[in-house]
Amino acid sequence: MNNLKLVFSRYSYSILAVVVFVSMLIPLSILSEFIFTEPFFIFHITEVSSFSFALMLGVCVMSAIVIPMNVYRIRTLQKSTSKMGGSVIGSIIGASAGICSCGPIGFSIISTFGTVAGTATAFLTNYEIPLRIGSIAILCLVYYTTTRSISSECKIS
Amino acid sequence: MNKKIAIGIAFVVLLAVVGIASSSYYSTLLEMQQYRPNMSQQILDINLKNGSPILGSENAPITIIEFGDYQCEACYHWFHNTRADIIDNYVETGKAKLIFLDLPFLGRDSIVAAQASYCAEDQGKYWDYHTTLYNFQEEIDNGWASKDRLVAFAFNLEMNLDEFSDCIDGSKYNKRVKANYDEAVKQGAEATPTFILISPEGVAKKITGAQPYSVFSKIIEPML
Repeated sequence: MNNLKLVFSRYSYSILAVVVFVSMLIPLSILSEFIFTEPFFIFHITEVSSFSFALMLGVCVMSAIVIPMNVYRIRTLQKSTSKMGGSVIGSIIGASAGICSCGPIGFSIISTFGTVAGTATAFLTNYEIPLRIGSIAILCLVYYTTTRSISSECKIS
Repeated sequence: MNKKIAIGIAFVVLLAVVGIASSSYYSTLLEMQQYRPNMSQQILDINLKNGSPILGSENAPITIIEFGDYQCEACYHWFHNTRADIIDNYVETGKAKLIFLDLPFLGRDSIVAAQASYCAEDQGKYWDYHTTLYNFQEEIDNGWASKDRLVAFAFNLEMNLDEFSDCIDGSKYNKRVKANYDEAVKQGAEATPTFILISPEGVAKKITGAQPYSVFSKIIEPML
């Protein structure tokens, strides 16, 4: 908790967290068809898709916490970028899982790359929930290791 | 160091895939915009002869065309959350008619399922079969729409199984499904479900995705 205070008491890291959260949530909501922009702007979640939305929200929240913490670690504590990879990978897995393969992006990818892309997008769609849970788990692990790293460097008890 | 290189390579590959897909998407979009400057204002010329039988009154003033894939999860959600309200309020009241055109792109079973729906039409059970497919939809290409399952669905609907199996085995409706796919792409459908709502004057409005009933209602009401 002290680590969170330490990082996010700085205005720039709080802004970075908000930027990461919003820049993930809005595009993902559009790609996963929770937000429609045409013909009207509308936010639409059905009972069935609410769990999927909650997991997507979890990925965005965890990314918004972990990415600024790692940036803080690298910039302020001059640490290596090795742990940053985990947060990026976790965010990418969480972001790409569940992107509606029926949507324009899925259609373009399948039209361009054929059967292989079809299999890949089918995998991302079929295993959306396990992939997003896995992504949150990776981000939690990165949060834990980052917290430990910041604690030991800053000697926070 | 190796880990960094691996992450770097993975990131570059991901960027390349996204880049190529995006450029393909936008070039398709540009082509479509050149073909149809403004879909919402366009008097539409669309070939429906290969599509489903008409659901509702042939004389209904509004035509709702759905481009869909039987393996598409969003189509499933639309079918179970929005369609019933549209049928109750617009199709059964004679205000609109619904036509389904196949845009089977998600997997190998999408095409076979679409062909099977027309085999069911031969026995007068297109819409029953359509409903069955959306009721039993599972994960993409996991076998839920394999030939055996498609025949089993026909059995449940008390269809003539020999006739149905011959129809599927002979790929009787291969060209019809392909024609629907081509028509969908020509009309600018780049996702499923995509809907084109045509007013009595022939003006078209497009809706992309499994949007709620309120969106359809907002578009249909001023057309009446």
